[in-house]
Amino acid sequence: MAFDIFLLEVIISGLMTGVMYALVALGFVLIFKASGIFNFAQGVMALFAALALYDFLAEDGWFFAVFGFTLPVWLAIPATGLIMVVLAWVIERTVLRFMVKQNEIILFMATIGLAFVLEGLGDILFGSDVKPLDIGIPQGASDWLLDNFNLYIEQLEIFAAGTAAVLVVVLAIFFQRTRIGRALRAVADDHQAALSVGVSLDKIWVIVWSVSGIVALVAGIMWGSKSGVQFSLSLIALKALPVLILGGFTSVPGAIVGGLIIGVGEKLAEVYIGPMVGGAIENWFAYMLALAFLLFRPQGLFGERIIERV
Amino acid sequence: MTDEQTNETLLEVDAISLSFGGVHALVDVSFDIRKGEVRSIIGPNGAGKSSMLNVINGFYHPQEGTITYQGQARKQMRPHDAAAGGIARTFQNIALFKGMSTLDNIMTGRNTHMSKSLFWQALRIGPAQREEIENREFVEHVIDFLEIQSIRKTPVGRLPYGLQKRVELGRALAAEPTLLLLDEPMAGMNLEEKEDMSRFILETNDEFGTTIALIEHDMGVVMDISDRVVVLDYGRKIAEGTPEEVRANQDVIDAYLGVSHD
Repeated sequence: MAFDIFLLEVIISGLMTGVMYALVALGFVLIFKASGIFNFAQGVMALFAALALYDFLAEDGWFFAVFGFTLPVWLAIPATGLIMVVLAWVIERTVLRFMVKQNEIILFMATIGLAFVLEGLGDILFGSDVKPLDIGIPQGASDWLLDNFNLYIEQLEIFAAGTAAVLVVVLAIFFQRTRIGRALRAVADDHQAALSVGVSLDKIWVIVWSVSGIVALVAGIMWGSKSGVQFSLSLIALKALPVLILGGFTSVPGAIVGGLIIGVGEKLAEVYIGPMVGGAIENWFAYMLALAFLLFRPQGLFGERIIERV
Repeated sequence: MTDEQTNETLLEVDAISLSFGGVHALVDVSFDIRKGEVRSIIGPNGAGKSSMLNVINGFYHPQEGTITYQGQARKQMRPHDAAAGGIARTFQNIALFKGMSTLDNIMTGRNTHMSKSLFWQALRIGPAQREEIENREFVEHVIDFLEIQSIRKTPVGRLPYGLQKRVELGRALAAEPTLLLLDEPMAGMNLEEKEDMSRFILETNDEFGTTIALIEHDMGVVMDISDRVVVLDYGRKIAEGTPEEVRANQDVIDAYLGVSHD
C-alpha cells in the first residue's frame, strides 16, 4: 500500500511540474499560432516579469527607492501586467514592424537577440542575485491531503494547477468566441486574407505579445514562488521545447497535455529508471522523448497535420 | 445593370504605374468604376489584372498615379483603410482561414462592423456579446443567400474547391461592401458551379447595389454579366467600353491571339 501512495505522489508531483512547463509553453504557442514566430525570448519574458513584480514588492527595489513605498500584491500584479503590455508594444515598434514578410528564421534570430537584450536589461535594472518572491501563495504541504489521504503535495503546486486551468479556459474562450480571437486565428492562417477583411497586423501583434507577456507573468510568478526569482529561470524555458514538440506548436490544449506528459514522464523515469543508470535522468529525459516524437509524429499530438503537396 | 446604377464615379484610378524592380506590372493605367456597375478587368495572363486589384485594396503601392475612392484622392490605399472604407475582395488562389469553420470564416468578414473593445471581449459580457449576436445574425443571412447552410460548421480546408470559392465570396459579402473585388471567382469551376456563381454575383449587384470589379477569364461570363469592360495587356490599358465594343476591338483580338508586339 505504501508503494502505491509513493507512486501516486510521484505522478502528482510530476503533473504539477508539468503544469509549470505548460505555463511557459503556452506563451510560446500563442505567439507561434498568430505569427509563426518561435519566440526564443519567452523564458526571459517570464524572468523579466518576475523581476519587475519583485521590484514593486520589495524594499530594495527601484520602485521603493523612487517612491518610498512598496505596492500591495493586488496592485503590483496588474502593474507588472501593464509593464508586459508596454514591453509588447515596444517590441512591435522596434523589432517586429521591420520584419514583416521576412523569413521565419530571421524572425527567430531576432527573438534570440531580444532574449539577450531583455536578460541584460533585467540584470542591469534589478541585479542578478536570487530574489525570494512571496505574493502570499500558501507554501508547504497541504495538511488536509496529508491527514486524510496520507499524500504529500505542495500547496503552491495545487495553486499553480488551478491557475493554469483558469488561464486555459479563458484563453480558449477568447480564441474561439470573440472577434479579436477570430482575428488572431485569421492572421495565423493567412496574412493577406486577414488584411483584406480589415485586420490590422500591427495591432494584432501587440495584442498577441501582450497576452503571451501576461502568460509569462503567471509563469514567472509560479516559478519565482517555487524556487526564487533567478536567471536560470530563462533556462527552464528550454524545457518548453520538448513540451511543444509533444503537444504541437499550434495547440493550446497540446501545450497543457504535453507539459503534463513531460512532467510525469521525467519524474517517473527519474524514480524508476534513474537508479539503473546512475540518476539525473530528469535533465535529459524530456529531450529524448521529444526526439522520439520527431521521428514518429513530427506534428505533435495536437498539431496541425503537416501535408506536403508534391 | 442595376436600377441603382448612376453615372456617379465610385473609384477612379489615374495614371497608375507599378513596378517591381525592373518589371513593369502596370504602366500608366487609368479607368473608373461607377457606382452600381459590374466592371470587368480582362486580359491575357500576366497582363497586370491582379496587380490592379492589389493596388485598389492597398496590398501594392504604386510608384505613380492617384487613386480616388469615394471622392477622396490618395497616392496609395492601405489594406486596413480599404477594408474600413467598404472595399472587400476575394483572391485568385483562395485565401480562406483553413482551420476555421465556414461560419467563423464568414464572421471574420464582419470585422470592420464590430468595434467593442478588447476589455469587453475578454469578459465576453454585455456589449460585446450583444454585438456578437447581431453580427452572427447577419452572417446567417449571407449563409442563406449563398445556400451553404449545410456546411456551416465544416472546417473550410475540407470543402471542395467550388464551395471554398463560395465561402470566400461569403466572407467578402459579410462586410457589406461598397466595392467588391472578385479575382477570378469562377476559375477551375464546372459549368454548373459557374452558373451558380454568376447568379450570386448578379444578385449581389441587383439586390444590394454593390459595385463589382471582376477579373475573369471566361469570356462568355464576362460578356454576360459586365456593364463595362477594361482590357489590360502587358500592364497597359489597350481598350475599354461595353462588352460589344471590346469584343469588336482589333487590339483586344490581337492581344488574345498573341500577335507579336514589335
